[in-house]
Amino acid sequence: MKRAAAFVLVALLLTTLSLWLGPSFSGETRDFVFFELRVPRLLVGALVGATLSISGAAFQAVFNNPLATPSTVGTTAGATLGALLALSLDVGGGVLGVSLLTAAAFAGALTTTLLVSGLAASARLSKNDVLLAGIAVTLAASALASGVQYASDARALVAAAQWSLGQLPQVGYRGVWLIGPFALTTLLGLLALGRPLQNLALGEDLAQAQGVHVTRLRFLVLLLASLGVAACVAWCGPIAFVGLIVPHLVRLLVGPSLRSLLPLSFIGGAAFLVLCDAIARALLPGRELPVGVITAALGAPALVFLVSRSRRE
Amino acid sequence: MQLRLQQVSVVRQQRRLLDAVDLTLDPGQLLALVGPNGAGKTTLLRAMLGLTAADQGQIWLGDTGVSSLRPRERAARIAWLPQHSNGAEDLSALEVVTAARFRFDESFAHSAREAQRALERVGVGAVAERALATLSGGERQRVALAGLLAQAAPILLVDEPANHLDPAQQIDVYRLLGELWREGKSIALVTHDVNLLRHLGDAERVRVAGMAQGKLRFEATLAAPELPQQLGELFGVQMRALSLDGQRVLMPERNP
Repeated sequence: MKRAAAFVLVALLLTTLSLWLGPSFSGETRDFVFFELRVPRLLVGALVGATLSISGAAFQAVFNNPLATPSTVGTTAGATLGALLALSLDVGGGVLGVSLLTAAAFAGALTTTLLVSGLAASARLSKNDVLLAGIAVTLAASALASGVQYASDARALVAAAQWSLGQLPQVGYRGVWLIGPFALTTLLGLLALGRPLQNLALGEDLAQAQGVHVTRLRFLVLLLASLGVAACVAWCGPIAFVGLIVPHLVRLLVGPSLRSLLPLSFIGGAAFLVLCDAIARALLPGRELPVGVITAALGAPALVFLVSRSRRE
Repeated sequence: MQLRLQQVSVVRQQRRLLDAVDLTLDPGQLLALVGPNGAGKTTLLRAMLGLTAADQGQIWLGDTGVSSLRPRERAARIAWLPQHSNGAEDLSALEVVTAARFRFDESFAHSAREAQRALERVGVGAVAERALATLSGGERQRVALAGLLAQAAPILLVDEPANHLDPAQQIDVYRLLGELWREGKSIALVTHDVNLLRHLGDAERVRVAGMAQGKLRFEATLAAPELPQQLGELFGVQMRALSLDGQRVLMPERNP
């Protein structure tokens, strides 16, 4: 309990402090940078980080697999395919106030996700079957994306490469309003499923005997998580490792009980991504790195550390 | 509530795991399912739970088909102790038993209190905060039994509850099941070891059903004079009956 409280405190402190990380300005510029750039960027970062990492924690529970991530069911691959299609077709304009790129990425993410979630709703398929279906859909979408890239011109390729690095570009609060409803649905929905998800840790059969509707739970988790993840990936591009690493770090700190793991992954994910983003803008003077580079650079060694630690145990 | 199987067959990969089984478990009854490996005992319990779908026949819980019950409704009536508990190594004993209260509409704190009571009832209240991975085989089995209790269902399906336990633990587990039975639970119990059944209590009332190759071969009470002969035929051994302090103990010998 003490550890959880300390974790929340540190996470909130880091999140807040990150507002002052980066180049400093004075006068009117300072207010603009603070309220129109940094605050909305922090909010988007927090929403995205929280959504990715709570979804990762929920997927790891549903698939009973420590390597499951929010992208396991093809969400990121679908978004990438959608984004690439929009970029290579070079159609300008937008849908419902968002750029066509974002809309296409969102549509791509939802398509792959609904495909896998639909399979997950079948009682005949085991969790490993669903996992395999997710991998197959990911591979298929990636193959299609490669095909689209092959047929694209140089300008589209550069834009696609930039998109695939993952960024939190913000001016004003539009991103917050766009991602907010999806992210909140995901966060609240998954938090509410903490108890039945805990039963799954005892094995699907025992969970079923204890009253959990296992296939329905699987379907709900996939759908809820993917809705938020799709919105995040569509807006920011794929941001690697947050959904994989944060739940594991939280588990090391407070144990595997989903009662604490889900809410703390939410808070930890928000803090982790906001901090990575602050590092991304503070690291090189006058330039910004894409946040995806920082999360991967921090996440990869963390993963190696975790693996070596679990081998020793 | 009566649990009744009517001509239940389960076929998997062209093998008949259960073959037209008729069986009833009345309220307050104790039924021990015995038989060699692969006889279909575990499949029978899983079918009763609706975890394994019957290809033919019906399984009734009172007037309702088990397969038409929602998981939560079924969990309110039947609780299960599986043969192997897998996973959850890092969870504490209390967390594991608290999960068994899922079927109730109650606060987490209330579930945890009930779970603690169940752990104390089976004698492992002191290990509540310890992770499963750090517990001995006997302690783990008691934690699993506490989960069975915490679910508070009137019918208990128990699969090899004394597997891998030392003799003292085996006897304790059977005595505890005997207590639950006397408190009014209906129990269907799968075992290889008929001699452990005497620790349940009243041998005249313990029903023994012999299974082989998916079929029900016989039914008798634990005290029935014909039981050793029937068990001998079921397992393909010679079952010698010895008397020990007025109780019958069975000793299997290879047929000459």
